[in-house]
Amino acid sequence: MKKLILAGAALALMSGTALADKFLLDMKGPGAGNPFWAAVEAGAMEKGKELGVEVMVMSPPTESDVAAQIAQIEDMIAQGLDGIALAPTDPNALAPVVDAAKAAGIPVVFVDTKGSNEGVTFIGTDNEAGAKLAADYICGKLEKGSEVAILQGIITQSTGQARANGSKAGLEACGLKVVAEQTGEWDRAKGQAAMENIITGNPNIKAVFASNDNMALGAVEALKSAGKLADVMVVGFDANPDAAVSVLAGDMTATVAQAPKNMGGFGIQALVDLKAGKTIPPVIDTGTVLVDKSNAEQYK
Amino acid sequence: MLGNSPRISSFLEHYGIVVIVVAMMAFLYASRPDVFMSLANLTNIIKQNATLALLALGMFVVIVTAGIDLSVGSVMALGMMCLAVTAKAGVPWPIVILIGPLVGITAGLVNGLGLTVLRLPHPFIMTLGTLNIARGLSSLITEGAPVSGLGREVRYLGQANYDFGFFPPPTGLPASLFVVGISAVGMWFFLNRTSMGRHIFAIGGNPHAARVSGINVDRVLVYVYAISGFFAGLGGLLLAGRTDSGFPLAGQNAELDAIAAVIIGGASFFGGRGTVLGVMAGVLIMGLMRNGLNLNNVSPFWQQILIGLVIIAAVYIDVLRRHAAVRR
Amino acid sequence: MTDRTGPAAEPLLEARGVKKYFGAITALNGVSFHVAPGEALGVVGDNGAGKSTLMKVLSGLYTPSEGELYFAGSPVKFHSPRDARKMGIEMVYQDFALAGNMPIYENIYLGREPGRKFAGLTIIDRDLARRMAAEHLDKLKIHVKSIDQNVEELSGGQRQAVAIARATAFDAKVVIMDEPTAALAIKEVGKVLDLIKSLKEHGVAVIIISHRMDDIFYCCDRVMALYQGANFADAPLKDTNRNEVIGWIMGTKGHTQSFAHDKVQH
Repeated sequence: MKKLILAGAALALMSGTALADKFLLDMKGPGAGNPFWAAVEAGAMEKGKELGVEVMVMSPPTESDVAAQIAQIEDMIAQGLDGIALAPTDPNALAPVVDAAKAAGIPVVFVDTKGSNEGVTFIGTDNEAGAKLAADYICGKLEKGSEVAILQGIITQSTGQARANGSKAGLEACGLKVVAEQTGEWDRAKGQAAMENIITGNPNIKAVFASNDNMALGAVEALKSAGKLADVMVVGFDANPDAAVSVLAGDMTATVAQAPKNMGGFGIQALVDLKAGKTIPPVIDTGTVLVDKSNAEQYK
Repeated sequence: MLGNSPRISSFLEHYGIVVIVVAMMAFLYASRPDVFMSLANLTNIIKQNATLALLALGMFVVIVTAGIDLSVGSVMALGMMCLAVTAKAGVPWPIVILIGPLVGITAGLVNGLGLTVLRLPHPFIMTLGTLNIARGLSSLITEGAPVSGLGREVRYLGQANYDFGFFPPPTGLPASLFVVGISAVGMWFFLNRTSMGRHIFAIGGNPHAARVSGINVDRVLVYVYAISGFFAGLGGLLLAGRTDSGFPLAGQNAELDAIAAVIIGGASFFGGRGTVLGVMAGVLIMGLMRNGLNLNNVSPFWQQILIGLVIIAAVYIDVLRRHAAVRR
Repeated sequence: MTDRTGPAAEPLLEARGVKKYFGAITALNGVSFHVAPGEALGVVGDNGAGKSTLMKVLSGLYTPSEGELYFAGSPVKFHSPRDARKMGIEMVYQDFALAGNMPIYENIYLGREPGRKFAGLTIIDRDLARRMAAEHLDKLKIHVKSIDQNVEELSGGQRQAVAIARATAFDAKVVIMDEPTAALAIKEVGKVLDLIKSLKEHGVAVIIISHRMDDIFYCCDRVMALYQGANFADAPLKDTNRNEVIGWIMGTKGHTQSFAHDKVQH
């Protein structure tokens, strides 16, 4: 990682942009291979080019490697830079380094995941609203009183909690009965196992909202082997390419797309604004879109 | 009366764990009579725990030698990713299904050779290394992306279900049950009826005795870790089949579940003790507990706490039993 | 070269001028040694005198730096304990070297299980192993509750008996015992010593390393003393006494100069 930064810095020197403002985008996981983070990265890079500032992108090797992310930020503060857009792997654990950055006069915004520091702008999906979008879609397709289930992510995380709460509120608001809420810990195999248990205990369910597409795809497998896929609609969240393919094939019914590119772009814009002394709102919603057969093609 | 008591205690020593499994099943049946004993639920329990059972069998052989293999979860993910990528690349399925186990055996050989040739002080260290290496490699293969759509034949062992024209369609006996069954019986035969199996127990009981009895301890250890790797790879094949995908984060912390199952099943961490039957019972106890708590909608946090308590209780019961045995 | 003593028989196992160096340290400095079938030889010496190094050379664990070994008159080279074992040279360790978690009969055949070879594995014939173990223990008059008992349930003396049974299970010619009574309760010592005597009667050459004069004088025919890695003294038991042997261990010879075979240089 360090080498990469050095190489990046050297490149920047050679291309003569060394004097431009330097911003860091620190994501939860590497962009390579993960379309979500790749899109965040692309959004930030494009915005950087547009505004003529230098954007560096970093991330810990996995989303659970909180310590690595803290170390990266500490190292970057030590080197000095003009702003940090951070997707914290663990909001509380990252809070002290965010404070340290602010103390060093470096503006910080949170992207994708809200941190716990007061007074730091959050730029990202309103997950509760996104989950409610999915819930409303389910409501529109089912009769009142139908039984539905929720596959939760890790509910100690704010994203997991927001999606669980938003979907539950939405489903209950239109008179559906939430008969099971189980966690699949964002994991495909665990989501599949949880779904198997849900079907066994609740043979009459008509729909399941899975808090991410991995679990939704697991739920599809569980329903397929139980011969129930035709009776139960599966709605996920994230609109990842596998899910888009599944929606087009008629397995998953729908999913919710975030706008990761906006997160990167809005993030850099906000940092530039802060650097220029402007004030920005405490929350900037990057928006969500419902994806079903009609528009899934573009997410493949 | 008294004349019978050693027989009872010997019965409990060998089959007490089975009594616990039966008691748990009775308890779960009482808590959810409508669901627990349903064929669908029982099928679920089998399908959901097949991978853990394979990992635990491999872990058991290692623990019998007083070793530990922390790498099984990552090696499983690596096997899964390798076979998923090759399946997508259009490699014929008979080769693809061999890839998981072969990757596992290779990782196991690395563990075994690292331990014996590099003379690392404890298998914890070598396998902690390979845990990280295998996890990194599994992510590196596709830069972290999951791979879906493996084809029917590749999925067969993990997904096929036999209804024998008897079980109603979604239920039945999963192919993975037969994989686990054959593996368990094979492992029992290997450990109890072959010279190498007995040498494995001797190494766990007293490595010095094994060495001076002319047993090539290093060679046996290399085989032991290769066996553990093999089962991790086979577990990867089952999980890939079951989920129709390979994902690099599969099996995180699975090594801890496998260790827990082996220990709950009565194997000793100090080596030389334990039975295949006990390990299978340990897997079932973990599986039944999770299933029962899920059916009763108990929060996952309580599940973790309970599993922790059961591990401690199981080992404590074992300690008590050994004390009683020594006094006798 | 030492003079031959003891029974007139040809020596079964013989070492001539064996030297063993570990780096700069000389553990054995030209030791010669011989033992005949049916003879029990006691080997004494202070700690560091070279007893255990010599035994490790004889049992194949160490290869000598210089000197030769002869078995039944022909020169032999041992590269591992396996080679020595093939010749019928067995070692009984001070800590017994048994696997406590395994039954008696399995310990006796550990590493040499009877059975059918199949795909590189030996499928053990457990009935045969049990029967052979029972017969062998009978022959040595060793009594145990059951050959299926785990070794960890046995007393020290019973364990030593099992260790001796294992050493002699395959037609052993020479049995080397390292402190055979050191780990035993006093009341069990006699039984083990009687067992050693009975090995002798079966024509086995027995080598006993011991600190206990009682053991040596109870069951040995001859005693040999090492001092600082070299032969110091060697005498039939009937020609010596405890005090003299204790003197040898400490490297003193005093009034015993009259023995012809004590003309060893040191």
